[in-house]
Formats: sequence, C-alpha cells, structure tokens
Amino acid sequence: MKERYIRNIGTISEKEQQMLFAARVCVAGCGGLGGGVIENLARMGVGHITAIDGDVFDETNLNRQVLANCDNIGHAKSVEAGLQMKSINPDVEVVSIQAMLDSDNAADLIRGHDLVVDALDNVSARLALEDACEEENLTLIHGAIEAWCGEVAVVRPGSRLLHDIYEGWEASETKPSNSSFTPAVASAIEAAEAVKVLLGREVREGAIMTFDLLGWDFEVVDF
Amino acid sequence: MKITLAMRGTMKKKYGAEERVLELPEGSTCHDALMSLGIDYRDNRTLGFVSVNSLRVDIHTELHDGDYMKAFSKVYGG
Repeated sequence: MKERYIRNIGTISEKEQQMLFAARVCVAGCGGLGGGVIENLARMGVGHITAIDGDVFDETNLNRQVLANCDNIGHAKSVEAGLQMKSINPDVEVVSIQAMLDSDNAADLIRGHDLVVDALDNVSARLALEDACEEENLTLIHGAIEAWCGEVAVVRPGSRLLHDIYEGWEASETKPSNSSFTPAVASAIEAAEAVKVLLGREVREGAIMTFDLLGWDFEVVDF
Repeated sequence: MKITLAMRGTMKKKYGAEERVLELPEGSTCHDALMSLGIDYRDNRTLGFVSVNSLRVDIHTELHDGDYMKAFSKVYGG
C-alpha cells in the first residue's frame, strides 16, 4: 500500500482500495461539479477516469471551478483535468475527451466504464446521458447546482429519475448563479456516492438528496 | 382540511421561505395548494417537482388533512 492511500484506510478497507484502483469512471463535465468530482476520485485512487468536456476555461469560471486558474484561461477543461491530476495522483490514468456530450455520442463515450458521473450544466445533455446509461446498463450519479442549492441522486438504469425531474423542461437562455461552495458540496457528495457504488456499498436508491446551504435544509425525497 | 406548504431552493426566494398552513377544501390537489397562493407554476420555470410527506408526487395528486407538501425548484447548473 502506497503511503498516499494510508489515510483512506478506515474509511475504506485495503481490499476496497484495490477495487478503486481497478475501477473505470466516466465524468461528464469538467466544470464546477466535474472538477471537484475528478479531484476527489483521483485522490481516493480511482484507477481510470475519463474526463469529458468540450469547453475551455474563461474568467467567469474562476469563482467556483477548482480546475480553473489565471494561467489556464482559454485552455480545454478536459485536458486541464488530465494535466492537474498528474500532479495530484500520477497513479491515476486520466483520458481527456474534448467533446460536448449529446444524444449522438453519449453511448459511445460512456461505454466500457463501471460508472458514470453527471457533472453537466444543461438538461438536454443530462437526458441524453440518462438514456445512454440505460442503453449501456450503467449506474449514473446525478448532481446539479444553483446558487445555494444542489441535488444528488444515484440513478440506476431504468429508473428514469432525470426524465422525471426535468419533465416539461424548457431551456433557459440565462445561466444559473453558482457560488464556490455549492459545487464543492455537491461534487463531494457525488464522489462519495460514486465510491460507494464502485465498492458495492449500500446506497439510497429511488431518491434524491437536496440541500440548501442558505437555509440549512438537507433532505431526501423518495421517487 | 389543513396542510402545510413549504418552498425549497430558489422557490423560497421567489415565494417566501416561511412555512404556510393552508385551509383547503376536501379533494384539493398540490396544484390547488400552489394556486391558492397565486403561484401559477405553469407560467415560470422555477418549479421542479413537489413532494408530499417526503415522497415525490404528481402535481395533481390529492392532498389529505395533515399533509406536508414541499415545492422544489428546478436545479440544472453544474
């Protein structure tokens, strides 16, 4: 056991640490949520991470996206995810894919992974991702944020939870407000759920956890 | 019948953070509860889903005396 993983033990067992080394996780989106998820999974020692994002960093990302800094404005988010994880944990293989996920490419992008994480920032891509996860029989960890609020759910194939949540959705031209702390909370919970699913630990299914950091509301709604 | 209604997420900012106890006619639905406060959820993109006693339900679900209804905002950023 490498020294870097010693403090993981207790939270997870040595056998489970080995299971994480062998795991392949696809993270769709490398922004506010994705940056946090990828860093958490890399520090935990998840062996393979595919980081998907077709966007580049701009100045408005600096308030909240942990992979964004003053030196990488204009750089591809997915590529930066790979570069930065090399310095955090070189044991982790990060494959960077510069692409916007949609219904045409989603199934191809997620195929061959053990788990998929939704760190996207729009509804149409989320629905395409849920469809693709169903097609590929993969579990999806959903996360979304706005202002002080966020939500996380473990979406098993066939549950259609995202289609249920976003039913009747109409695209908005305005981008939601997002702070530094809200994606940090949501991405940490997503990463914890991802680790639990990868290890076969018990997870709350058919439900969504919502939080509001302004009102201290943390609650679970069953679907 | 009396039910309690609370907003969640950005619904709080838009419609108030306080819990409301509503007196509604028997047979009223979640839709009726929101409309009784002048909240026409169909005219905006704020409402995501509603729950009754911590279970997600359809907006046209009938309410019963003592129910605790919550209206959650749509959350989609990342």
